[in-house]
Amino acid sequence: MTPQLRTQPGLADSAPGESHLTGEQFGELMAGTTEAAGGELALAEAHLLVCEQCAAELASLREAICVFREASNAYADEELRRRPRWILPERRSTSRSLMPAYWVAAAAMFLTALFPLQVLRRHNVAPAPAVATSNADRSAQSDEALLEDVNSEISATVPTPMQALADPSDDETAANSETSVPTSNQRKD
Amino acid sequence: MGHEGVRMFPSTSLSLGAEARSTPLDDLENVVAMYQPRVFRFLLATLRDRDAAETLTQETFLRAWSARASFREDCSLATWLIRIALNLARDHTRTGRFRFWKRVSASAVDVADMAAFVPTREGSAEAQLIAQQQVAGIWESVAKLTSRQRSIFLLRFMEEMEIPEIATVTGLPLGTVKSHLYRALAVVRAQHNTHGATPRNPTPRSAARRDATTKETQ
Repeated sequence: MTPQLRTQPGLADSAPGESHLTGEQFGELMAGTTEAAGGELALAEAHLLVCEQCAAELASLREAICVFREASNAYADEELRRRPRWILPERRSTSRSLMPAYWVAAAAMFLTALFPLQVLRRHNVAPAPAVATSNADRSAQSDEALLEDVNSEISATVPTPMQALADPSDDETAANSETSVPTSNQRKD
Repeated sequence: MGHEGVRMFPSTSLSLGAEARSTPLDDLENVVAMYQPRVFRFLLATLRDRDAAETLTQETFLRAWSARASFREDCSLATWLIRIALNLARDHTRTGRFRFWKRVSASAVDVADMAAFVPTREGSAEAQLIAQQQVAGIWESVAKLTSRQRSIFLLRFMEEMEIPEIATVTGLPLGTVKSHLYRALAVVRAQHNTHGATPRNPTPRSAARRDATTKETQ
């Protein structure tokens, strides 16, 4: 089948019956598909030589897309330049070679942190037992005193709350206990 | 001058596959320096969000590093990285969270900002303005494409990949790639013509390019 140019409905200025590039031919010319059917492409290109309208349209669209590409590329490049850079991981070989150094550094830091603790512990060895001893003595003394009190309370023949009241006729006792035992005086009255 | 801040690349990747065979990705620093701009450009044009593009660029290299043992070198490293980036972008755009943040994101790409990067060539201020309008027009029309058409369009015309390479990246048959590309071009072309961008008198540069094309074919 012989390839033919068909009437292009998209062109408003085309005269009735005038043939122009089809959408597919236009697309092939724009996209530059080299593997297009040879006859079809050759016919389309031949048409461009004689049809100024199609040639102008193709050139205009190519120009617009070219400008679009350049503008969008420039815009994207500028936008990328404004963006913060990424920190990329180190290369594997470098990180492997530095691995022992990392371990040594970590061990050194650990030992450095441990050393002051050891020194502090040594300094605190002497005073610590003294404090502990004095605290133990103090608690032992208070315990003994408490036990003595308990013993004396238990060994008493009459518990303190049950002891006989003092004689109210005794002046000294009365004077001393006037305020403390008012109830007994009131009874006497 | 850019920001002086730095961002940590996840160090967990260091321990992965340490005993694997040697791959081009072992020299990650060089790989990133070489391909980061390209991956970022593609993701920025696909996602239209600067922060998302940066995050997924980083994720692309992390995935590539993690899976470097599976890189068989049956395609170029660039193709492999773009394939990873494309898959990540596809997964990202499927989430509802992306759709929400796309509406409200402060890091969304403003076409006016991009149009300001139109290369300055010899020509009048009017020509510069027309070029900026053309960029805005293409940007708008690309937004109308389906995600697959957009990816293929960007891979062809931004990354300047050949059709077989695009087929490798997308995992689609050649015919399907072409079909999507032609449909995408039809949309872009229609939008381009609607905005009256077709010059009645071709610019000298366009005419020169046409002459060159004609000579090549002859």
